[in-house]
Amino acid sequence: MAEPILAGVAESDLGETPDRNWLDNAAVATVRALEDAGCSLDEVDGVAVAGGDDYMPALVLSEYLDLDEPSFLEGTEIGGSSFEHFCGHVRDAMARDEADVVVVAYGSTSKTGPGRDQSLEETHPIDGFVRPTGLFRPPGAYAMAARRHMHEYGTTEEQLAEVAVATREWAAMNPKAAQREPITVDDVLESREIAEPFNLLDCCLVSDGGGAVVLVSEEKAAELGVPEIAVAGVASTSTHRQDVSEMPDMTTTGAAVTGPKAFDQAGITHDDVDVAEIYDSFTYTALVTLEDLGFCEKGEGGEFVSGGTTAPGGELPMNTQGGGLSYCHPGHFGVFVLIEAARQLRGDYEGDRQVDDAEVAVAHGTGGLLSSSSTVVLRRES
Amino acid sequence: MTGRIEDRREEWDGPVPVPTGATAPFWAGTLEGELRYQACDCGHRQLYPRAVCTACGAEDPPFEASEGVGTIYTYTVCHVPGEPGFAERTPYVVGAIDLAEGPRLLALLDAEPDDLEIGAAVGVRFWQVSEDAAIPVFVPE
Ligand SMILES: [Zn+2]
Repeated sequence: MAEPILAGVAESDLGETPDRNWLDNAAVATVRALEDAGCSLDEVDGVAVAGGDDYMPALVLSEYLDLDEPSFLEGTEIGGSSFEHFCGHVRDAMARDEADVVVVAYGSTSKTGPGRDQSLEETHPIDGFVRPTGLFRPPGAYAMAARRHMHEYGTTEEQLAEVAVATREWAAMNPKAAQREPITVDDVLESREIAEPFNLLDCCLVSDGGGAVVLVSEEKAAELGVPEIAVAGVASTSTHRQDVSEMPDMTTTGAAVTGPKAFDQAGITHDDVDVAEIYDSFTYTALVTLEDLGFCEKGEGGEFVSGGTTAPGGELPMNTQGGGLSYCHPGHFGVFVLIEAARQLRGDYEGDRQVDDAEVAVAHGTGGLLSSSSTVVLRRES
Repeated sequence: MTGRIEDRREEWDGPVPVPTGATAPFWAGTLEGELRYQACDCGHRQLYPRAVCTACGAEDPPFEASEGVGTIYTYTVCHVPGEPGFAERTPYVVGAIDLAEGPRLLALLDAEPDDLEIGAAVGVRFWQVSEDAAIPVFVPE
């Protein structure tokens, strides 16, 4: 099957963008990603967008960018994994010659925008079962899953903290990262309690910002002369939505399904993976995903992430931009794992931040409350 | 079994359940101290209440009363309030409770965090928080 080429990537401004709304940030990221691809806005014939505050985001962004009758429109909302999920649909659309240049975009003002709707009016039957518990979501939901993992496998808070420490080491090398000061395991354990076993530094930060990637057909990529970063495998699934009470087993995520499928499509094994960009809404999210993707045995994630395995110079470089834990997290982080995976495969960086000779990257998105899972394998064609 | 009902209507300023559709029999039960779950003729048991059985597709599976006991599958101690009305309550405990009959539900655990552990037995109480509903709250047995 023809594989879409990831031709351009970019972020909008990150951190606080009080003068921008979600759409502004998505659009700014889009034009920057197009520039990165050497492609013009009027060549875009497809748009895929999730998140944002609008009911019909694909229509809203298409209008905002004044796209000329785009043939591919996608607005499936499966949370933070939406952008990885889109990669499969874009592949299918390109195989049918429906589109040649598709922008996958996200924008938000999670930090400075209007607060979450606190209306008590019920929107779904489960709300009456969940909201009166007062559970702070998402952290409390992920924390409950993490505690179950600790109970079943002996995973420790120190091991969870190791994820944050290694991620911060990467962030220290990223000028765009919000948090760059080195931290220790003790720093994590001593940071403010949020929802046990999570402390503040187990949790992603909250920021504004947007990101976009431009996917083009192989023919278009040849025309543009961009490095051939191919979408070699992609798979998605969901296990539940409304809350972790509906998650069949809180210690195993959908990545156990999507990882093997995506790896199989791409014809790779774990040994082929040079860099992993793994959704890290919380330390536990990354730890359990590494297990479910098969980088270690189930239950051995804690041991795997200890001792700098995922840090600069480690065996499996992970979240090399600083992740949602230290770089940015405007609500849906999934677009940013694709951006960083592409940059690593292109060899955009210098020094320790660049993973040597990276040819294969895994980009994994998680959405909802550990609810959805999408895995993408990207490969640099030589 | 009937769980004790405490009237918390005066002091409760958190979210309240709004009984609608398939959930109405559940919330009606809570006002009688009864924790109900859907027990389909096919043998499947489920919560939250739905218009269909997720195992066999039967419409409006009937309700049965739970014994109101179960075990803690997992829990978290919340130091940051997640809903209006919870700021004064911190730290409070939210658990995922596996009922003896099978279904799992999220609920407040009215207990000291140090007294809790996964697998521990708990029993239901109800806090009436509106004219229409009492929320299930679990305490160690
Ligand atoms: Zn049934």
